Amino acid sequence: MKTIYTDVLVIGGGLAGLRVGIAARRRGQEVVILSLVPPKRSHSAAAQGGMQASLANVIQGLGDNEDVHFEDTVRGSDWGADQDVVRMFTHTAPKAVRELAAWGVPWSRVSGGDREVVINGERVTITERDAAHGLIAQRNFGGTKKWRTCYVSDGTGHAMLYAVSDQVIASGIPVHERMEALSLIHDAGRCHGAIARNLITGELVAYVAKATVVASGGAGRLYRVTTNAVINEGIGHAIALDTGVAALGNMEAVQFHPTGIFPAGILVTEGCRGDGGLLRDGDGHRFMPDYEPEKKELASRDVVSRRMEEHILAGKGARSRFGEHLWLDITLLGKHHIEHNLREVKEICEYFLGIDPVRQWIPVRPAQHYTMGGIRTLPSGQSRSLQGLFAAGESACWDLHGFNRLGGNSVAETVVAGMIVGESVADYCEQHDLNLSTALIREFGAREQARLDQLTDGRGSEDAQALKVRMQDIMTTKVGIFRDAEPLAAAVEELQDLIRRSRNIGLRSAAPGANPELVVAYRVQRMLKLAQCVAYGALMRTESRGAHYRADYPRRDDAQWLKRTLATWAHDDDTLPSLSYEPIDILRMELPPGWRGYGARNQIEHPDTAVRQAQVDAVRAAAGGGDRAALQQSLLPFREQLPPRYRGPNERIDEPLP
Amino acid sequence: MIESPVALPAENQTPRRLRITVLRYNPAVPEQLPRLQTYELDEAVGMTLFIALGEIRETQDPSLQFDFVCRAGICGSCAMVINGRPGLACRTLTTQLPETIALAPLPGFALIGDLSVDTGKWMRAMSERVESWLHSHDVEVDLDRAEARMEPELAEAIYELDRCIECGCCVAACGTARMREDFVGAVAVNKLARFRLDPRDQRDDADYYEVIGDDDGIFGCMTLLACDDVCPKNLPLMTQLAYMRRKMAAVGWRGSDGANHS
Amino acid sequence: MHRKAELAVPAAMAVRPRSSRMPAQLDVLQSATGVVLALFMWGHMFFVASILVSKDFMWAVTRMFEGYFFFGRSYPGVVSTLVGGILLLFVAHAALAMRKFPANYQQYRLFMSHRAAMRHEDTSLWVVQIATGFALFFLVSIHLYQMLMHPGDIGPYASSDRVWSGRWWPLYLVMLFCVELHGGIGLSRVAAKWGWFASATARQTRRRLKLLKWGVTAFLLALGLTTLAAYMKIGHEHAAQAGERYTPEQYRSVTP
Repeated sequence: MKTIYTDVLVIGGGLAGLRVGIAARRRGQEVVILSLVPPKRSHSAAAQGGMQASLANVIQGLGDNEDVHFEDTVRGSDWGADQDVVRMFTHTAPKAVRELAAWGVPWSRVSGGDREVVINGERVTITERDAAHGLIAQRNFGGTKKWRTCYVSDGTGHAMLYAVSDQVIASGIPVHERMEALSLIHDAGRCHGAIARNLITGELVAYVAKATVVASGGAGRLYRVTTNAVINEGIGHAIALDTGVAALGNMEAVQFHPTGIFPAGILVTEGCRGDGGLLRDGDGHRFMPDYEPEKKELASRDVVSRRMEEHILAGKGARSRFGEHLWLDITLLGKHHIEHNLREVKEICEYFLGIDPVRQWIPVRPAQHYTMGGIRTLPSGQSRSLQGLFAAGESACWDLHGFNRLGGNSVAETVVAGMIVGESVADYCEQHDLNLSTALIREFGAREQARLDQLTDGRGSEDAQALKVRMQDIMTTKVGIFRDAEPLAAAVEELQDLIRRSRNIGLRSAAPGANPELVVAYRVQRMLKLAQCVAYGALMRTESRGAHYRADYPRRDDAQWLKRTLATWAHDDDTLPSLSYEPIDILRMELPPGWRGYGARNQIEHPDTAVRQAQVDAVRAAAGGGDRAALQQSLLPFREQLPPRYRGPNERIDEPLP
Repeated sequence: MIESPVALPAENQTPRRLRITVLRYNPAVPEQLPRLQTYELDEAVGMTLFIALGEIRETQDPSLQFDFVCRAGICGSCAMVINGRPGLACRTLTTQLPETIALAPLPGFALIGDLSVDTGKWMRAMSERVESWLHSHDVEVDLDRAEARMEPELAEAIYELDRCIECGCCVAACGTARMREDFVGAVAVNKLARFRLDPRDQRDDADYYEVIGDDDGIFGCMTLLACDDVCPKNLPLMTQLAYMRRKMAAVGWRGSDGANHS
Repeated sequence: MHRKAELAVPAAMAVRPRSSRMPAQLDVLQSATGVVLALFMWGHMFFVASILVSKDFMWAVTRMFEGYFFFGRSYPGVVSTLVGGILLLFVAHAALAMRKFPANYQQYRLFMSHRAAMRHEDTSLWVVQIATGFALFFLVSIHLYQMLMHPGDIGPYASSDRVWSGRWWPLYLVMLFCVELHGGIGLSRVAAKWGWFASATARQTRRRLKLLKWGVTAFLLALGLTTLAAYMKIGHEHAAQAGERYTPEQYRSVTP
């Protein structure tokens, strides 16, 4: 077996993986990036609406800063997030935007003077400051107090991915395209790289590295209706799970995006609603204000998606041959705005629906969108249980998003995590040597080859595609937006059955080379375990938090459930993950649990909440409106966890640097 | 107002029977020569080639190779030759095509198998060749400070050219590229036009001349304009090719004042 | 503390040998010679079409080119010089344009199969341009050599006799189509190549250029065919006296 040695092995060529690679390379480490597809085709490119960073350039962002972004993110997470990580993230996000600007991302810019915008269904004129002219503009997004989402028309992810990918090329970092990591090489609690399969020739290759970074994106394809690309099958999550050592955090936290095009599930950006678009029901009625009088269409995604499904259940959906759906109305934004700021949306509507969103409403229904759960790591990005394994981006759970991610925080997370984790990866490489036996590489290689041979030996009888379709159906119907004990238990049981059957898959074709059928087969074996982590975690979590909603336990239960689910897969022949729980320390929180400002207001309090709230109030009162950075630092010191180069304050129009 | 295609009630129409012919070849099985294989399937409402090919692979032929990633027309993975012309398969509705559909892999790129080609390798080589990244002397950008300003219209104009998805349609449609495989292609020229427009890129025309100022570069373009006609993102390729040609020609006639940076 | 964006090493800014400027110059020259030749052909067409007005008018145009109205007598050498210049331009243009021809059979085959699959107008027209250009190598050479050596053989009767009795009309007929197609396609390609006549949108530019190209080509072909027919008719009627030169009306009354 061919073996390639490097300092850093990055699995995943999306924004997070590429940015980790750049950081490590610039610290002098040798980096190899594996990618299922050419990196510019990664799903990062599909992020349309924008990236949150508290630049506070636009007038509607006046007064925005890291503190506001921090609070929005924690509320959005329904207090599931790690507040240290949220602090690190919100502090670094403005630097990330500015770095990308220096790398060539053509961020949309502020135009000083009057402009017309749509707010709450009304056309109003706002006046941008001349001091902001030419600076990076922000748009409105759900679950945020300020306009904070920096954007490039509605091709933000594309522009970011191209700029970062071009920097990877400029840095001479090799990207091994069409390479799929099948398992992590590990021994005695340390990761040494991965066994990968060449998706062109079918051969196995061993990559041996000091540090291995999983940045493989989400697992949307566990579901039938998803906005995710077809490559988002969670294989990065799965190979970490497969070690039996690394843990996955909060896999039951799955986000459904309110506006997937119906029925294909293709995303239309939250920017549509951020820019003033409205949701309407089968009668053409704007229904969101009835449910959420304050934030309306711009409550967080979990809340809006739930309200939409609730409204459809109440018989208010628009009927079609594929089932019921609702309408997204952006006609009020006008032709010019749609053609300049929502042009991808316009193209998608034209090509896939044959409609013109300037004149017609868009049929939408919530679709699986984001995997909050991921490889559980420290704030540095390193796994808490498997040394030398790092994770960044959607495949990680360091835990920025808790139980619900805010729109605009995912592409922001990819680059910010890349910057921070990349530095700690470089630190790790400087401090550690490669130390393993070639027998270990051979052993792992032989194990993977045996697994593949078992699939192709012609003795199995199960159809991999059928298993996959069944899994996606179970997940969509029983582990979706509304969850309940009975269907969840049924899902877990049926997934157990599918996992057993997946050990007996047989292929119809044995063509050498890529063999797409073989790819489906070995992936579905891994996906089923991952699906089971979601379903079983959801069954066990008897509360509602963020995107995890239990109809039988509709209240957020801080007393019992302010903790992360950790899933490991102990033995190959198990059909259930081993779950354990990691408590979230309220006494360290800068923002103790409370009401989110939207959604239900019925949480069960934890006794520590009142204690911590009193402490925080006392500190705030003592500070009496002084320097906000100093106050913040006394509530939750986080700066020393950041790489030194990212610790400085962020300049704003109203917060100039000396 | 509330009507849209998906809302229309299903009529009692018999669906069309599509005949999809695929040019098949698996380089891993070189003894089996390239051949045409025809699959038949019933057309469904809203069916795209993504859905049709997926159905063929799931129900008829699990060995059929093709590439889809985003299936929303934004990642550029699924470019193939559809009834003679390059295009994105994922957003091509079968209703726009006749009952007989011929699919072939994108020419001009290394074949991986059947409809799958290696555009990634080609595009990376192109990027390295023309250095399609932002070049700047300002290595000391202070990330704590506010970003440099840019006129909103200029940012939008740059994004207009930045929308390229490297799908390879322009290269596959280009007769010049077919004849001369070293031809740089519209994709590269558009990228350099994009950086030339960007004040953050500090290269000058003499620098750009170094990478595309020859007959494999901009002067190899024979203005067949198929690139402009097939570009799925409707990029203004004719305009950009002409623009770069004028700028590069000016360098060629200016004599020696286009001194290089040090 | 480092607070920098750390941009990539700008490789294009490193010192390196300068690329040759020749490709740029050859490219410009190819377009320039083509445009001059095409404009010349437009003029040429109008001058030969003067026969459609009257034999006298055509005679006068001919004499003008021979310097008759400047020097008081004809110097056919003036025509030879002009022809020589055009010949040089023609050879230069051919040499420059040849760089674009398929270099071998494989390239030819690749392009033709590409053209057949694409069914794309501008791609197909390029084949027309290559084919007509190739034909013009020979047709134009013959014509220009004749004009170079017999510059005096231009006139209402002299030209008509050449066309009809000299049996040059088949050559002119083929050459007419080749020149007009080659020139029309070439001019519009040059306009697109350099971004001339750009309209508000690229699509509009394309549409207008196309309209203009076919309009001009159709007009010139019609004019050319009519003109050729006129010379053939005169040549046919004058066949018995072939070789006799034309005397304009005004001089006929003086010389009985």
